[in-house]
Amino acid sequence: MTAQHDGDAPDFRARVLELEEELERVKAEFEDLNLLYQATIEHGEAVEDQLAESNIELQRTQNRLTEELTEAANYIFSILPEPRQVSPRTEWLLVPSTELGGDSFGYHEIDDDHIAFYLLDVCGHGVGAALLSVTAINVLRSAALPKTDFRDPAAVLAALNEAFPMERQHNMYFTIWYGVYQRSTGHLRYGSGGHPPSILCKADEVVTLSTPGLAIGMMPEMVYRTASCTISPGDRLHLVSDGTFEVETAPGEMLEFKAFVDRLSASGSGNEVLDWVRSLNGPGPLPDDFSLLTISF
Amino acid sequence: MTNLNHDVIGGALILKPSRRIDSSSAKAFEDDANALVETGPKKVVIDASDLDYISSAGLRVVLTTAKKAKAGGGGLTIACARANVKEVLTVSGFDSIFGLHDSVEAAVASLG
Repeated sequence: MTAQHDGDAPDFRARVLELEEELERVKAEFEDLNLLYQATIEHGEAVEDQLAESNIELQRTQNRLTEELTEAANYIFSILPEPRQVSPRTEWLLVPSTELGGDSFGYHEIDDDHIAFYLLDVCGHGVGAALLSVTAINVLRSAALPKTDFRDPAAVLAALNEAFPMERQHNMYFTIWYGVYQRSTGHLRYGSGGHPPSILCKADEVVTLSTPGLAIGMMPEMVYRTASCTISPGDRLHLVSDGTFEVETAPGEMLEFKAFVDRLSASGSGNEVLDWVRSLNGPGPLPDDFSLLTISF
Repeated sequence: MTNLNHDVIGGALILKPSRRIDSSSAKAFEDDANALVETGPKKVVIDASDLDYISSAGLRVVLTTAKKAKAGGGGLTIACARANVKEVLTVSGFDSIFGLHDSVEAAVASLG
């Protein structure tokens, strides 16, 4: 038996050598892989550090932007007038769809006999729309249109249209409803540019008030019109933006303006209307700014 | 290539948007319409017969298309608007500026 084994010995030693070599190769490979692994870990840690730093930077930028947007939103709300506690009394609601919207409104006494009410809606949302919205409201509030009789809605709309051509306003334009109430006569004179009708709720009927005309800034040299009606004590006038009723009641089905008018005229407060529109819209923010200004005579 | 249905009838470009032009589809309409007006006739008719709804974002792109057509020496008008679209076009004053027609033929004829 021994003799036979002796005969096999060289083969066996060769095999051992072979295995030893193999082991060395595997060890070397293991070393290489281990080094690579260490390097990857280190690199990964460096990348993680970088990411963490970028995240902190992003967070800072995010915070700063949020602060600035909040500041801008605060400014917009600050220029909106306080509700009037004396006749004609006012109450309003403004719910921007995003942080900053393009809706705004105002009212002010032009003289002892006339008081103006207006609501405007700049196309789009965001900072750009809000800037134009605030500018236009300030122009109206401070009567800063040359040679314009602010008691004449058609004249005011035409002057706004000359002052804010879309080509000079970053291609933005706005729709507006502008009315002037004369206390001594009870007359309301009004005009609109591309804006949904205002809704006048009288004791025995509901009427919608609007005049034909394009949104302000769309086309130069437009002629706007003034219409008028008589207001009685107890009447309520609602100025709205299209965001108050442009919601889907079902996929592809838009709420009809008529249905909105019916609900609005039957409701006691703006919040009631807002809740109703929100319930139709479903969860999430409304697709557009919601603004509603109600004047009680 | 454009996804906007279109045709040329009587030398006028007929644009036939389907279903809705709202904030999510307005950009595509604007790009397609601009490209078609750029290379095609400057007389443009919007055939609104398949249109269910147009939002303020939609009105905006109709306006930019109209301005583009006008700048090229043509014009834009609207045909076959259904009741609810017609209401939006009336409130916005688009009916008096661009005109509303009961048929594409009448719309083409109005552009001269």
